[in-house]
Amino acid sequence: MNKNRRSLNGHQLADLAVLIVLADLVIWYFMDARSASGHILNLILILPVTGLTLLLCLIQFIRQFLGHATDTGEVETVKSVLPVIGLFVTYTLTLPWLGFDVGTVLFMALFLWLHGERRLPWVLGYSLSFASLVSLFFTAMLPYPMPMLIFPS
Amino acid sequence: MIDVSSALDGLNQLFSSPVALLIIIPGILIGLLFGAIPGLQISMAMAIFLPVTLYMDFMQAMLFLTSIFTGGSFGGSIPAILMNIPGTSSSIATSFDGYPMTQKGEHNTALGIALGASCFGVIIGYGILFLLIGPISSLVIKVGPAEMAAVILWGITLIGTLSSGSLLKGIISGMIGLLIGTVGYSEAGVSRGTLDSVYLLDGIPAIPAMIGMFAASELFRLANTSFLVEDQSARHVSMGAIFAGFKKTITYPWIILRGSLVGVFIGSVPGVGSSIANLIAYMFTKKRDADSKSFGKGNPAGVVASESANSTSEAGSMATLLALGIPGGGATAVMLAAFAMHNITGGPQFIREEKDIVYAIIFANLGQAILLIGLGLLFIPLLANVVKVPMRYLVPSVLVMAVFGAFGLTGNMSGPITVMVFSLVGWLFKRFDYSVPAAVVGILLGGMAEDSLIYSYQISGGLWSYLFERPVTIVILCLIVLSLFGNKVSNWQQRSRSG
Repeated sequence: MNKNRRSLNGHQLADLAVLIVLADLVIWYFMDARSASGHILNLILILPVTGLTLLLCLIQFIRQFLGHATDTGEVETVKSVLPVIGLFVTYTLTLPWLGFDVGTVLFMALFLWLHGERRLPWVLGYSLSFASLVSLFFTAMLPYPMPMLIFPS
Repeated sequence: MIDVSSALDGLNQLFSSPVALLIIIPGILIGLLFGAIPGLQISMAMAIFLPVTLYMDFMQAMLFLTSIFTGGSFGGSIPAILMNIPGTSSSIATSFDGYPMTQKGEHNTALGIALGASCFGVIIGYGILFLLIGPISSLVIKVGPAEMAAVILWGITLIGTLSSGSLLKGIISGMIGLLIGTVGYSEAGVSRGTLDSVYLLDGIPAIPAMIGMFAASELFRLANTSFLVEDQSARHVSMGAIFAGFKKTITYPWIILRGSLVGVFIGSVPGVGSSIANLIAYMFTKKRDADSKSFGKGNPAGVVASESANSTSEAGSMATLLALGIPGGGATAVMLAAFAMHNITGGPQFIREEKDIVYAIIFANLGQAILLIGLGLLFIPLLANVVKVPMRYLVPSVLVMAVFGAFGLTGNMSGPITVMVFSLVGWLFKRFDYSVPAAVVGILLGGMAEDSLIYSYQISGGLWSYLFERPVTIVILCLIVLSLFGNKVSNWQQRSRSG
């Protein structure tokens, strides 16, 4: 064993977990493709790429486990990013019900409020005007209907 | 090589009516706008404005569409430099050094350099096309599926080694991207990795995935900062600095020339060209530079290499379209549709019989490059003001544009949902030092790599000896090995010399 091996910190453990999840997903995809068809035309790229990826994941796992992983430098705290991610995920998933117009106004207003903008006229004014402008532009430009609650789709 | 009488006929056609020249200006502006807004694509702009070309004759239509292409090629570099979000896949390498320059408060210079390299690149690219359209088209016809698969692998290996702190993680990212690119129906008539969703039968929408991965890796992180450029004194927009950056491009003549040559030849490879050319030119420049460690930290030479290559790859893809009738990507596919709308078939016969039109298109593009200088210098200061917008306004606005743009690309909710899913993947990749650009190029080209391998297998009958009959493939495979181990070998040589 490497004498320089150190105990892994939280970020490095999460790094290992991501590597394992990626390897699992690669295995799952290969199994799914193989169960669909074992014909060479189906696996001509997937088989060699899966093999190579798993080999590289194994080498990387050993390197990381022995503490040889590269220093990823400064990383932002998860706590500071989670609200943004949560808001964006909610915005995207609720678009079919709220429509692109109302959903966008709510997303922008909540985002501004969450990030410290307390001037209500600015929050409402910017959210309303930006969402209206973008909604009208895209509905005019696109040849297919967009889900909208107020504007014509 | 040059048919002088056809060239003169082409010039005559071009200047016979002012309309032909007047439609170039709105075309460039549309391209700049669509290229500069993350979420909107050049091909999307061309598709939206394609019906307008019904009211034009064939040459006017081509001039209008190529001017959108020219404007968009440069426009894509603006978000790459200012926000680390390449507007198009051909601007990926621009963000490697352009964005660090912005972080250092050198955004004006970086934008000026990108404009200069793009304009000189277009001029050199179409100049090469003017001289060598015949030889280029005969070369392109020799590029078979085996060579295409090798070029794709080379591109992914290059980007994996260039854009991540860890070589292994970079290549893992590229390989995972390749696998994602194969999701959906295969040539064997079965579906893979679709989770029984009808939205995934045609595969994962590549452009929304690209928008999600690039946008997320920066925007989620930037949401908690105040401005793109933290130092207030460095936040000003200076026309003088932009122009100085433009002039600075001239001090890199060899990098522009090398990038342009790479752009024309790699750009002419159908489907692959523009996404890979900027990476290859960047890698050549980085390897040959005495201060290669400064690349990725804001070296202007990186921006020059990438922009000169991606703008000339337009000329390369036009060569393939005009000479062979094969579109090199989304934008040239729309142009092919314009060919069909005007009852014209591209290919050897077209280039033989309509040489005057081909020359007129080449001359018009040379003119477009000069117009782009003026329009770009007017347009950039407006866009560079983005550094003055507080992040709490900029981040949600760009995310919204990305979601709307993704819906525009797919016509249903699969686009926005792809952006959302891949924004999370991109954030994770960035956080744990996996290469987002390598994964994106893999996603974009995975399906094409698989098709190329299948065609090679069908042509060769499954015999490995087929590879040895394809010297170009062997050369590219050797380049892949060199990209992977070249640095290690030269380090080892240096150590053994000094030790």
